[in-house]
Amino acid sequence: MNDPLPTPPLNTASAGPSTPPPADNSQNATVSSDASLSLDGLLMQITSINDPEALDKTLRTFAPKEVRETILGSLLPDGADPLQVLDVRRNTLGILYLLSARLQVNAAGAPPQHVIETFCREFDQAQARVAPERVTMLARGIIQLGQQVGDVKLAVKPLHDLLVRFPPSLSYLTPLHGLFVTACVASRQFAVAEPVLSTPITQINTAFFPDLTYLDNLVYHYAGGTVYAALKQWEEAEDFFEIVVGAPALVPSAVQLEAGKKLILVQLIKDGKSNNLPKYANGSLQRQLKNSPYYGLTRHYPQQQAKLEQLVEKERETFEKDQNMGLVLQALDHAPRWAIKKLTGTYLTLSVSEIGKTVNMAGKDEAVQRLILSMIEKEEIDATLSMDGIVTFNEDHSALPMKRMLSKTEVDNALKEAQQQAAILRQLEREIGKSREYLLKAAKVKDNDWSGPGGPDEELLFDVTPSATWADDA
Amino acid sequence: MLDATEQAPSSSKAKKAPTPIVPVDENHPFDLETYIASYEGRVVVDRLVHIITLAPSIAPQALQLAVRHIQTLRDPTLYPVAVAAYDQAASLSPGQLPSASEVATINQKWVDETSAKNQSERMKLEVELKTYTNNMIKESIRMAHRDLGEFYRSVGEYGTALRHFTKSREFCTTNQHILEMCLSVLELLIEQRNYSHVPTYIFKAEAALDQAAAGGENPKGAVGTKSKATAEREKYQTKLDFALALSQLGQGMYEKAAHTFLKLGLPGKLGDWSGKLVASGDIAVYGTLCALASMSRSAIKSRVLENETFSVYIEQEPYVRDIVDAYMSNRFKAVLDLLEKYSTRHYLDLYLSSHVHDLTNLIRNRAIVLYFQPFSSIKLERMSSVFGWTVEEVERQVVALIQSGDIQARVDSQHKILKAKQVDPRAQLYAKALKAGSEMQSANRKLLLRMRLQQADLIVKQPKNQKQDSAAMASASQMSDYIQIGD
Repeated sequence: MNDPLPTPPLNTASAGPSTPPPADNSQNATVSSDASLSLDGLLMQITSINDPEALDKTLRTFAPKEVRETILGSLLPDGADPLQVLDVRRNTLGILYLLSARLQVNAAGAPPQHVIETFCREFDQAQARVAPERVTMLARGIIQLGQQVGDVKLAVKPLHDLLVRFPPSLSYLTPLHGLFVTACVASRQFAVAEPVLSTPITQINTAFFPDLTYLDNLVYHYAGGTVYAALKQWEEAEDFFEIVVGAPALVPSAVQLEAGKKLILVQLIKDGKSNNLPKYANGSLQRQLKNSPYYGLTRHYPQQQAKLEQLVEKERETFEKDQNMGLVLQALDHAPRWAIKKLTGTYLTLSVSEIGKTVNMAGKDEAVQRLILSMIEKEEIDATLSMDGIVTFNEDHSALPMKRMLSKTEVDNALKEAQQQAAILRQLEREIGKSREYLLKAAKVKDNDWSGPGGPDEELLFDVTPSATWADDA
Repeated sequence: MLDATEQAPSSSKAKKAPTPIVPVDENHPFDLETYIASYEGRVVVDRLVHIITLAPSIAPQALQLAVRHIQTLRDPTLYPVAVAAYDQAASLSPGQLPSASEVATINQKWVDETSAKNQSERMKLEVELKTYTNNMIKESIRMAHRDLGEFYRSVGEYGTALRHFTKSREFCTTNQHILEMCLSVLELLIEQRNYSHVPTYIFKAEAALDQAAAGGENPKGAVGTKSKATAEREKYQTKLDFALALSQLGQGMYEKAAHTFLKLGLPGKLGDWSGKLVASGDIAVYGTLCALASMSRSAIKSRVLENETFSVYIEQEPYVRDIVDAYMSNRFKAVLDLLEKYSTRHYLDLYLSSHVHDLTNLIRNRAIVLYFQPFSSIKLERMSSVFGWTVEEVERQVVALIQSGDIQARVDSQHKILKAKQVDPRAQLYAKALKAGSEMQSANRKLLLRMRLQQADLIVKQPKNQKQDSAAMASASQMSDYIQIGD
């Protein structure tokens, strides 16, 4: 009886419209003098205002900040769901506001899954683009909902639709990218993410997406790399992690450090050795990586397996804490393969037992034989294994794909791609050349007659600058 | 003194892990008497000390020679150095060598006399310097410094000697003086085997030479001065080149050293340096070994065999010509045998000692590469007979060379055959071009993205976002969690 919860609704009503139960709404409406403060009035406006910009402004400002979301997230006085009343295509903006608020305000009943899915599938792009931050909010809400229900998988489909339809093209980076791929990873739906990931990000427009932060970029590419690593598409994974590591940074972010660790492991699996980080990567990030046990792995890879295993055993805790044990073990599994692959460059024939000796698997001929067979099957090496245990390596394996490459169309394609790249660069060059910042800087430099290293001179003002100039700037 | 002879053997020890004990027998002929006869002055003792440490079998003889020779010098501190080196050699092979006192006796009377004489001479020179400094006569001060430098050098105080030489520079009035100073310093540095500073003084000397040549054009100079200047230049050029070559050898830059050694002038141009620092036979050995280790066959032919000036040097050491001839006619076994036979001679050389090992390896590797060049496949057995090794040894060497990329071939370890890789240059070119293209594209893509990020100011910044970052971290580690389970 002395439980505070069942307090009579009258109290709260007089205190202010801060509680969301739908029963209060009728009272709220009567209390407030302005009709637009109620959901009813709002619905009227949503259906009557045809200009999305104006409607956006109304929805953005119709009520004091504290209560706005609550009202948006509530039900109609008669308990009906406002979302049912509106038409998805015609009233996209309105629904966007209502839906995102509903997902945000936990107390309001969650909208049914099919409503969300339908909206994501059919919303009107032009209207939605008026309020990009509401779209982000909606996406966050969808993920939250999935987590509450305990099935993140549910979020993947609507997020995918949202992501594919919302930006002008997939090559624009949006806050949705990171959210979607993260949801994919969390629900282990790696293959779903792949088509999105395969479109490289080339456009970043903070005018379209004002709520974009550097984390959106980092998280998207980090999660993307993780997806590719899980799909064992090492090359793409390497690319993605490298983008994260090389992202512009005054101080390295923790995501970048994690990506760097994964990058090393992926490179070990992919190439048998780790390459240097890109030159433009943050200096202290490189130092931190150099001091990590991951770098220690690269020193012994792939020849000294005994040492590798020792190191992994010793640093097991670190690897497990970083949740990279899976990749570490994969790299370890790949080590003998790389060692054998190196042998193909040196030997023409070698007995299985000798191979075993050089890859530290002496005495385990059967295991070595199995390994070689699997490598031959996967076309990692081009070799034959005779009955008496002699492995014959054929001509350099790396030469094989070349012979296929020689077809004319492939050469043409390569040329075309190169030309495209050149065109993109030239276009960019022009843009920079006529941009206000560049001209200002160039003019200033000229005035001061200061010629620093690589500083633009008069010729560069009018001519196409060599690529080194912008590489320097970057 | 202590820096010079004490340090050098220890540094050479550091380079080659075990101090080699150099044998002297019929297979490794070495005639100490004739060898040392081509040197004069202090370097004799330096070389003998070096020999004592490396070749115990002739150490007693060398010590006797050293003790005898020391008395013609004026540095009594050389005695203990020689004896210490001998004792060390004796302790390394206990029971085989008679003790130092049995081999040679130290002339104590001479020691005392020389010390006293040195003392008085030093007093005299220092007083002279002081007087000249007071009188501010530039030229005399320079000469006083120079004399003191020479004096300290002869008694083995290299540090002080160097200080006086460099100080004399402030009082040099003509280019001739600067040149003299540079040459003295160079001598000193070479004796100390302090190679890294040698090029500095060579540049200084060359600048002085250039200025002397330019000075000839001023109004005072007659027409004759210019040709005089070039003659002057020629006179010193060989010395400077030799110093440069030796410093390059000392720093392990064999190819550069080979080129410099091979362009030296006639032995006569070395002037007082021949004998005092080096014997012309030594130059033949240095130059040839460096050339064999680093130059192509055609270069060796034109630079060594057809080089008239250098053949004058080679005449001093006829076996060097044998090595080159054997090398040029592909008799590699003979080359390696000769190198082995004269390894004693090489190890016992003061300047070459620490490089013999590397040079021999380089020559051997080049020989293998050269030998294999014309073949598309060859039995390892045949190679083993040519090089005089076992098949296993050949395989080991060849595998090492393949892995370092010197030989483009692969080993058929079953049939013991070395087979050249067949490369299709056309296919390779295409593959390379395509690879470069795709790499460039992906690099471009990443850089452009990076640029756009920068333009949009999406840059990782520290404090404000720390919280956000850690949140992202949590989700990141959560993500990798799944991967781990997956694999």
